Amino acid sequence: MGAFDWKVIVDNFSFLMRGLGMTFQLAIIATIGGLVLGTLVGMARISSRFYIYYPATVFVNILRSIPLILVIFWFYFLVPIIAGRPLGDFLSATIAFVIFEASYFAEIIRAGIQSIPKGQMQAAYSTALNYRQMMQYVIIPQAFRNMIPSLLTQAIIIFQDTSLAYVIGLKEFLRSASIVDAREVRSLELYTFVGIVYFLICLTMSTVVKRWEAKKGKMR
Amino acid sequence: MSEKDVIIEIKGLSKWFGKFKVLDNINEVIHRTQVIVVCGPSGSGKSTFCKCLNGLEEFQEGDIVIDGISLKDPKTDLIKLRQRIGMVFQRFELYPHMTALQNITLAPLKVKKVSSKDAEKKAMALLERVGIPEQAGKYPGNLSGGQQQRVAIARALAMEPEIMLFDEPTSALDPEMIKEVLDVMIDLAKSGMTMVVVTHEMGFAREVADEIIFMDQGRIVERGTDKSFFSNPQSDRAKEFLNKILF
Repeated sequence: MGAFDWKVIVDNFSFLMRGLGMTFQLAIIATIGGLVLGTLVGMARISSRFYIYYPATVFVNILRSIPLILVIFWFYFLVPIIAGRPLGDFLSATIAFVIFEASYFAEIIRAGIQSIPKGQMQAAYSTALNYRQMMQYVIIPQAFRNMIPSLLTQAIIIFQDTSLAYVIGLKEFLRSASIVDAREVRSLELYTFVGIVYFLICLTMSTVVKRWEAKKGKMR
Repeated sequence: MSEKDVIIEIKGLSKWFGKFKVLDNINEVIHRTQVIVVCGPSGSGKSTFCKCLNGLEEFQEGDIVIDGISLKDPKTDLIKLRQRIGMVFQRFELYPHMTALQNITLAPLKVKKVSSKDAEKKAMALLERVGIPEQAGKYPGNLSGGQQQRVAIARALAMEPEIMLFDEPTSALDPEMIKEVLDVMIDLAKSGMTMVVVTHEMGFAREVADEIIFMDQGRIVERGTDKSFFSNPQSDRAKEFLNKILF
């Protein structure tokens, strides 16, 4: 193989970008879905009722103890058996990601809520707010501010994790590059390009996180 | 005072944290407009006692009856009862993400569902009453400790409670700010509010307390009026305690 030939990128640009679009789609759904499910699980983790606390804790501990790639495989092979029909690679990857990421978000949310001093809860209760009002107006808004850096960091990790959907044949960014590579045999150029794109996107997102933390530091 | 005037009745109240007995058979009757000062060494259970009165802390034995409503009764609606009992905390516990005004209007808006115009008008009147109307738009982080505690008092008063609980309201304050908070509390006491105040501020106790309760190891060791308690304490523990805090 001679010198770098970037023509392969130009020639297949729209195909690669479709892959990147798929990566974004999966990452965004996984982040939003994981955040919603994770918030519920995180709140369940601090419940004083054992029948709420216990299943949530089992869910979190199991999912955080197995590799994501295994979860992706499971949903790809297992869910069609339960559902009785194949789900397709995108849907099965989406479900796997939402459930897996929810377990990580749940811990961020739980820690965020627990970082708020107990006195805040007592103050809210003492003015006759109920549990929902206390959470909604007093605890969650404060907890959320503390959590934003961790949540954004997790979103960056999700963005990178989506490349694992490669294993079930989902045509996300990395898979698209490997498809082009199979045809054109330009591994070095393709994977360098993929790496640079991942790097630039993640760098941008982590700069946003750092800015936020600096701004938050100033507010105190 | 007649039987009818009883607003809080505490009967054989006991509470454990695990195996540790924090409250041991507390009995007390409080009448409307009375000011009760609770003092005692740290760890004597006085804060826990105070938090039992509005159900922030659960108890295992005995009962607390507030204006005929039993806290032991599982059917008692604590949310409804708490509308009638305001509370002020040692560390203020203002909501840091809300302005002073928003801190005060939150419960009236969400619990009593008053209009925002009425809630704000009332909140401004309360800030006026505690002497800091000009701080309405500030966040707690930009207020002094004394100002924060006065906002906290206004927040509790916004629900128009019949009883006010104070859990060491001046212990977290710098000395020069204690007076401004005590002045507000003295005004409140003189206006006829029923108050239970956990404090070591004996000047305050002298001025407005109808009864002083001295607690030690979860028990009420001694009780008296301000005069009898200060001039002639009966128990050794109370004598020792008074010696320590008065000099």
